[in-house]
Amino acid sequence: MMKNKIKNIINNMPLNKVRFWIQLVMFILFAYGGYVFIDFGSSIPIFACPYNRETGATCYFMPLQHQLAMPANVLFGAAAISVFIGLLTFIAWFVVLNKAWCGYACPFGTLQDWITALRKKLGIRYSTYSQPQFDKLSKIKYIFLAIVIMIPLLMGIGVLGGEWSGAFCQICPARIISPMFVGDFSQWKIDFSSVAAMILTTIGVLFAAVFFVGSFIKKRFFCFFCPMSALHYTMSDLSLLKLRKDGDKCTKCGDCYKVCDMQIKDIADDVTSTNILRDDCMFCMKCVAACPEDDALHVDILNMRVFSSTKEGFAKRMGMSHLEKNNDQ
Amino acid sequence: MVDFVKRDKNDIFNRPILGFVFKNKKFLLGIRIAVALLFFYAVFYGFMNPAKENIFTGAVFWILFWPLFMLLTLPTFGRIFCGICPHGFLGKYITALGLKKTMPKWMQNRYIGIFLLIVGWWGAYYVFPGFLTSPLGTAGLFAGMTAVAFIVYYSYKDMSYCKYICPIGTMCRAYDKLSFTKLETYTDSCRECKTFECASSCPYHLKPFSFAAKNHTDDCTLCMECANACEAVKFKFTKPAHILGQKFKALNAEVWAFILILAAIPVAMTFAHGLERSTIAQEMIWNKTAAFFGMSEYGVGFAFVYAIVLSVFFAVLGLWLASIALKKDFNTTFSTLGYAFAPLFILGSLGHTLEMFFVKDYATLVKGFAQAFGFAAEAMPLAKRGDAWLHYFGFLRWIGVIWTQILLYKRLKLIDSTRMRKILGYIFASLLVIFFIGINIYRGYVFKVYGVKAADHSHHMGGQSIAQRPSYATSSSQPRDNGGEILDFKNSIKAGDLIYFTNSDPKATSKDSRTRMYGGNPMAAPTQKVWLVYGENFGQNECVGKLDGELLLYDTLNKEKPVKSALQYNCAAYSFEMPHNGYYNLFFNSSKIEENTLHYKSAKLEFLNGSHGLTDVYEAHKSQPFIAEKNRIDLIRLRNKKEDSFFYTHSSGDLLRFKALLNNKPLANAGIKVFINTGWTREFKTDKEGIVEFNIIKDYFPKWSEFDKRHKEMMLISLSYTDDAEGVLDGVDYNKIKYTLTYPLSFYPNESEYKSYQDGLIIAVLTLLLASFVAYRFRRNRTKPFAEVRYDEK
Repeated sequence: MMKNKIKNIINNMPLNKVRFWIQLVMFILFAYGGYVFIDFGSSIPIFACPYNRETGATCYFMPLQHQLAMPANVLFGAAAISVFIGLLTFIAWFVVLNKAWCGYACPFGTLQDWITALRKKLGIRYSTYSQPQFDKLSKIKYIFLAIVIMIPLLMGIGVLGGEWSGAFCQICPARIISPMFVGDFSQWKIDFSSVAAMILTTIGVLFAAVFFVGSFIKKRFFCFFCPMSALHYTMSDLSLLKLRKDGDKCTKCGDCYKVCDMQIKDIADDVTSTNILRDDCMFCMKCVAACPEDDALHVDILNMRVFSSTKEGFAKRMGMSHLEKNNDQ
Repeated sequence: MVDFVKRDKNDIFNRPILGFVFKNKKFLLGIRIAVALLFFYAVFYGFMNPAKENIFTGAVFWILFWPLFMLLTLPTFGRIFCGICPHGFLGKYITALGLKKTMPKWMQNRYIGIFLLIVGWWGAYYVFPGFLTSPLGTAGLFAGMTAVAFIVYYSYKDMSYCKYICPIGTMCRAYDKLSFTKLETYTDSCRECKTFECASSCPYHLKPFSFAAKNHTDDCTLCMECANACEAVKFKFTKPAHILGQKFKALNAEVWAFILILAAIPVAMTFAHGLERSTIAQEMIWNKTAAFFGMSEYGVGFAFVYAIVLSVFFAVLGLWLASIALKKDFNTTFSTLGYAFAPLFILGSLGHTLEMFFVKDYATLVKGFAQAFGFAAEAMPLAKRGDAWLHYFGFLRWIGVIWTQILLYKRLKLIDSTRMRKILGYIFASLLVIFFIGINIYRGYVFKVYGVKAADHSHHMGGQSIAQRPSYATSSSQPRDNGGEILDFKNSIKAGDLIYFTNSDPKATSKDSRTRMYGGNPMAAPTQKVWLVYGENFGQNECVGKLDGELLLYDTLNKEKPVKSALQYNCAAYSFEMPHNGYYNLFFNSSKIEENTLHYKSAKLEFLNGSHGLTDVYEAHKSQPFIAEKNRIDLIRLRNKKEDSFFYTHSSGDLLRFKALLNNKPLANAGIKVFINTGWTREFKTDKEGIVEFNIIKDYFPKWSEFDKRHKEMMLISLSYTDDAEGVLDGVDYNKIKYTLTYPLSFYPNESEYKSYQDGLIIAVLTLLLASFVAYRFRRNRTKPFAEVRYDEK
């Protein structure tokens, strides 16, 4: 009885509101945590950028790039342990929330959602990619992931010099934008100390500027290219949290696709695979909330359904009772 | 027969270059003739030049064919060596002319080949080292093998030699399963076939049309006769070790090949070439056993025997325990799980082979060919032993271990049992892997703890681990000559000299003398090492060898802490632990009397520790200046507001403020002299409050292309003051005290020297405008309505 009641409450919850508040809390935690001495360590699977002085945690790419840039003989010696510990800590964080880190915790993602909200308020329509564009652009994040990993390794064997240190951070828009949360605008500078630094910081400023325009007209513009998302996807099988689909119950109405900020077509199209998490997914669960079929989409923790699509919940969220009342009059 | 098929995307015959290499008849024939000529010429050359000067024969057989070509191709394209092997190539023609009898049952035994490989070659290699690898030995071995091969080919049909007698036949068949290629046919096209050209053209009388269903390729040597007989044959890319992920008819001989080769090569090498070089080699069990039997000179041979026995023991024990855990009979478990051991040998040895190729084998190979074909070539090794990038090859061994564990998991899926039983079975079946990792770690441990014998080591194949390479982490700094004497302040250092702390090694020859250490115990507190140096001018470092003054260290909480000292090349090095982030103050105080003047000299070091591992929080009180009451003279730096973290560094342009103290009271009108390591100096006087202020100058003007934003410059601030006070020290009168105190500081180029806000903002604004404009135009000019989203209804 009790269990069913709780289940009903969860399944009928207004997801958008719940998500907004969770995102707000997480944003404050990760963007301003430093003011109250909050520190979740340096293996966090989101863009909690340490260039922001008051960050509440450190994006895993920062230590990862530093560790991989150690001289190769050191890296494969005793230091391998610290790299390994860092990776294990990252995985330990990651398995808890899976890609929901992107949809609920990442301050940089939240910022994009708020820019989208602003655009909505202004009444400007949004843009989408066409499917061929989507398929091509979707691979860029793996190129960025390769930059995160390969450039430090090349530094470690002496091919690239110290000016390439933290190369991805130099081109990452989060480096430039995150410090602005605490009023630090100093990252908009171009570094002329070497050719590499100049090119990287210029690209960084370009990306940051494009970020504002892009995220204004396209939902979650940057997440589509985010190497952290790519790294998440390589490990998503390990996670406890799963997004599952029951293809038999799917009517291919396409509601889930329409609400998807990331334009993932498989969510509506694929009725064969049970694990419906794709590399672009940010686990916002809007698809589950938008699904009008009982249990067609559901979120599982260790095979236990914690949030699943229901007719009732769908009707509530859509305000159908309200609509019906209006029709009656 | 099929004349035409539409080839799949993953079909290698469909690729422009690879398709030609693997299918073109003339090309294949050319390659085979070339390899056969090389083979026979090398054997002939070995007989003609049996002396050690002949490096060609060895280079062809023991570098080029094995291990380089074999190890590179087996886990990638498969057993393509068999496809170009001179024995198989000529054997085909010999069989055609021969008696074509059926091989007797007792000879149809794959263990003959495995036995020849393990005992005939590897056993002999360890027991009589150097004999089989000599030019004559090599030539004799391969001439003999060729003779045997040709006799067997002549007598029996179906190329039986390759299957049963050839020492590497079963081995190639086994390791081929790791490759990412597979030969099979387009089964849809084959269905209508009544003529079976693929089977009739096959020298081995295999049935290529059945390979797809069987999920393995029998004894196929990739000779590609079938592919030229029928178009429906395909040679496709698969996932690596694709075959091993599924069921197929297992062959126990292959599993034994995996285990025995692992034992005979990496494990025996670890014993015979690795541990045998340690200083405690005589304590090893094989040498003791050899001594027990009175055959001490055959210790290495016993090492081989032990390697075989131990590996077989752990493999069989592990699989037997796994069979009990899984409740299956031993044979099923053995043949199912044993295949997982495949990558263990081949990847570890591949890493070593590649490393040796770059370090020396490449040069040997070129020299060998130059010797045999009479051309002049001077080849330098492609890399030096110890080049950083070579370490990545060592990584392959661990990829092999991980791959083995993944394969074990996949093979376990083929056995049906409960989950708990499978977990247990997995652990037991990993016993051989654990043993393999164990001996690698043990060797590293022995080398580290007991050391390596001085004798030089030369070998040319097999598996060695990271630990066996020479260590190059050790410092190469040579002692600079200062006559070898230990200098101290009282006796050797002039009264006018500056004496100060430095944290760069005064004896280091290289400019990059990093004091930061990587790795080590992550739990240990970071340690800072400093040296006390002196000189007439700043920058002329002569180090102090013996301390004859007091050394005081105050930690972040202003408590006195001990300092460790050690003598290195007649230089005293002091080190202290820094368990917290914050300021550490180190003082050296010393005095001596010269010409009725007491020279009281102080060296101060204020060191800011900012270690990322430490979780201290930067609080205001930690940046408060610290006054050490014990000190008679002190120079205190008053921090500015910008200093708000443990990672603060000074940069040129910064304003420095100091307060001079004598006996804890402000010292007015004292002389302050600022030195920079480039030679620039300037003098100031303290004001009434004892305070002095100055900016750090910019003294770094390189070409833009050489600019280094981490260019560190050293600054020394010296405070000197003369006080007319009389007194007695150690029974000597003085009527004047001359105080001097030094305070070193390092600084970097100011950010404003190389970072531009203006340019960044211009680029940002332009991009913003351009991107907005593009987005706006693109959307406005879009005449087509949004494409309707359709879902494909299958």
